[in-house]
Amino acid sequence: MPLLENGRLVEDRWTTVGSDDTLPTTGPVIVPLDRLEDGLARPAGEKLGVALPSDADVAVLRAALPRLALVAVTFPTFRDGRAFSQARALREHLDFAGEVRVTGRPLPDQYEFLLRCGASTVQLPDGADPAVWAQAHERFTTAYQPSVRDERAEGFGLRRFLGQAAN
Amino acid sequence: MDVRNNRRQAGGSSVVTANRLLDGRIVWLAEDGAWSGRIDAAQVFSNDGIEAVIDTATRRQQADGVVGVYGVQIGDDSTTPVPVTVRERIRAFGPTVHPEFATLTEGPPDVR
Amino acid sequence: MSAEILATPDTGAAPVGHYAYDQVDRAFLHDRVEQFRDQVARRLSGALSEDEFKPLRLMNGLYLQLHAYMLRVAIPYGILDSRQMRELAHIARTYDRDYGHFTTRQNIQFNWIRLEDTPDILARLAAVDMHAIQTSGNCIRNITCDQFAGAAVDELLDPRVHAEILRQWSTLHPEFSFLPRKFKIAISGSPNDRVAARFHDIGLVAKPGRHGTVFDVFVGGGMGRTPVVGVHLRDNLPEEDLLAYLEAMVRVYNEYGRRDNIYKARIKILVQALSAEGYREKVDAEFAAMDRARYRLPPETVAAIRARFGTPVLDAPSDAADRLAEARRTDALFDRWVRTNTHPHRAAGYISAVVSLKPDGGIPGDATSAQIDAIADIADRFSFGEIRISHMQNIVLGHVRQDQLHALWQELGRAGLASANIGLIGDIIACPGLDYCSLANARSIPIAQKLSARFANPALQERIGDLQIKISGCINACGHHHAGHIGILGVDKKGEEFFQLTLGGSAGNDAAIGQILGPALPEDATVDAIAHLVDAYLVHRTDGERFLDTYRRLGAALFKDAVYALA
Repeated sequence: MPLLENGRLVEDRWTTVGSDDTLPTTGPVIVPLDRLEDGLARPAGEKLGVALPSDADVAVLRAALPRLALVAVTFPTFRDGRAFSQARALREHLDFAGEVRVTGRPLPDQYEFLLRCGASTVQLPDGADPAVWAQAHERFTTAYQPSVRDERAEGFGLRRFLGQAAN
Repeated sequence: MDVRNNRRQAGGSSVVTANRLLDGRIVWLAEDGAWSGRIDAAQVFSNDGIEAVIDTATRRQQADGVVGVYGVQIGDDSTTPVPVTVRERIRAFGPTVHPEFATLTEGPPDVR
Repeated sequence: MSAEILATPDTGAAPVGHYAYDQVDRAFLHDRVEQFRDQVARRLSGALSEDEFKPLRLMNGLYLQLHAYMLRVAIPYGILDSRQMRELAHIARTYDRDYGHFTTRQNIQFNWIRLEDTPDILARLAAVDMHAIQTSGNCIRNITCDQFAGAAVDELLDPRVHAEILRQWSTLHPEFSFLPRKFKIAISGSPNDRVAARFHDIGLVAKPGRHGTVFDVFVGGGMGRTPVVGVHLRDNLPEEDLLAYLEAMVRVYNEYGRRDNIYKARIKILVQALSAEGYREKVDAEFAAMDRARYRLPPETVAAIRARFGTPVLDAPSDAADRLAEARRTDALFDRWVRTNTHPHRAAGYISAVVSLKPDGGIPGDATSAQIDAIADIADRFSFGEIRISHMQNIVLGHVRQDQLHALWQELGRAGLASANIGLIGDIIACPGLDYCSLANARSIPIAQKLSARFANPALQERIGDLQIKISGCINACGHHHAGHIGILGVDKKGEEFFQLTLGGSAGNDAAIGQILGPALPEDATVDAIAHLVDAYLVHRTDGERFLDTYRRLGAALFKDAVYALA
């Protein structure tokens, strides 16, 4: 599936494995949370990611996080906003600096929210139009609350300038 | 679309309704397959075959520019279809608190 | 006139007690309107399905109701300037059927809107610094506030600046725009609760603390099918922690609130499930783990936003009160209106006036375009161009000179807006009900109209005294029936309308949920039943007792007899 970063399509170097799939011994793989131990048993240095279900507390990853290069959060439907809090908690509470990938069925209209909660990449759902996502990326230049991106203040009050956001 | 108050029964007959996508106005499926703003133009279907009619209309809703297709049970005893529930009568004939907006009389045209 | 001398930000606008936008705020609203224009285009082209489009239009206050689209426009903390008011009249006249409906959450609804017009309507609203953002959807809704904020003599602190801060903070909040369910916050600055703080997801009461503003926090109140009086979560929350603590409160809800059952998704159910103590522990843990510096609300930020508020110069002549007293002596009708429709002001020579949107036999909260324009003109003449919407679906003019009150009342009379019934039996709250609403089970408005006509006699209304009737057309309780001294709930029985009565509810400091009196009644018996309740109260009350007091003293039995023994 197409992968979006900073509003642009990028190559996806990761392999996502299911609960019953054979785990490749080398190469970057994303394992389900219930196979995290298997993933960690791979040779040190092999890139590992984990797919976090939306009902999981990110704190379960605390011990493994230094070994993880990617955490995938998911939207079972776009209405289920738990992934926003998970992404934010990963960045803010666990200081996770790796890739936070969004999977499932988000809407392009949620893109800015995702970025401001700490997401790095979005695995576009089937049928998504990358152009609409790219447009959503640039639509707003102002926000009214702090975020994990620590955008600079815009004038007075609570406002943040999104135009030249960090990274 | 909320269907709690349609109260379609096993027997009897129904008409098919929706809202127009562009302006939200209530429409009824008419004899010629077009959607009419007046319930007295609605085609009356026996409940035996209505699920198929609703399915077809639902599949066509984007092309027809309507949303929320469903069936409305009507009474058996009048020439103009009259829904059996208060809710659907209000949809069919207009809000009771604004008689000037009644749908089957010569009310004010839509403002635009 | 001295009212022309104004302390106000350099916006050229009237000194109205709301936030004045600047170019950044306007650019943001413009971008938002264009986003919605695109979303509408994607819907019309079929790129978005109705399922996908629905939450997006709801985020912009656009519902698909029974007869048409309904647009709910936000009136943050209930405050408008006259220019905005006139724009609402223009929208009603141009895009709707010449009227609007003011709601119990201080918003306005237009009932006959076309989807294809909506981007243009939003653009017109944006031109007067208004929007419909988050007036619907599972997000933080319009922040409501005391209708006498900044004016009431009993107020400890004007809560509107903090209401604005919360409006900004909650606007397109990246984490909290897809919550399990809608989320309502109210804020008051008076020890006399006029915002129903205990019936909100979060209720805040601002007060001066030893080192600046502090807040008492209530959580988990609400109406709906599970009415709950909110629990007291904490006292004396310092201003600088306000946003951080709210982030923690809403985050715990976003993570743990139920998403499997729409009827159990509000925060009140979570607070019940965890217990108040359990919820507090989770919030405190989140609060402790947060980057508090990031979420700190510094005094400079509060001051910068406060500086964008207009402040009227209140300099009534020294004989203003005497002249009002004189006018009351010579005009009995005016005197009655002053008794019912005003509220004491903090400044000498001033008073707050309540414009009733509950004419005899009328539709509660409805106003025609002509009336909306008339109120704007009257506000320009008598109250610094400022208009407030109350959660009782009335209009408040906050700062009126007492010596000008008689002239104001005469102007209201000419516009058909001088009903003297505030707080009385004619001051009925009603949701739109089955005449408009796709969720309703029964009509609310006709019951309100019949009750209002039945008790139209002003002398009778005064004799009955403080009595709040609140009518909801379904269990979602938009008419706040649970909090009515007499509540009326419409129910559906086999496609016909029935009405269930509840007694003893209250939204104030003595917040309580009304108790069901007995079996639901058919429509034609409901108005008579209310009359029997009132008769029973008049017979059994002691001096100075409100209906609610008599009910609480004597219990439900005699009222039950009054309704059902005769039936």
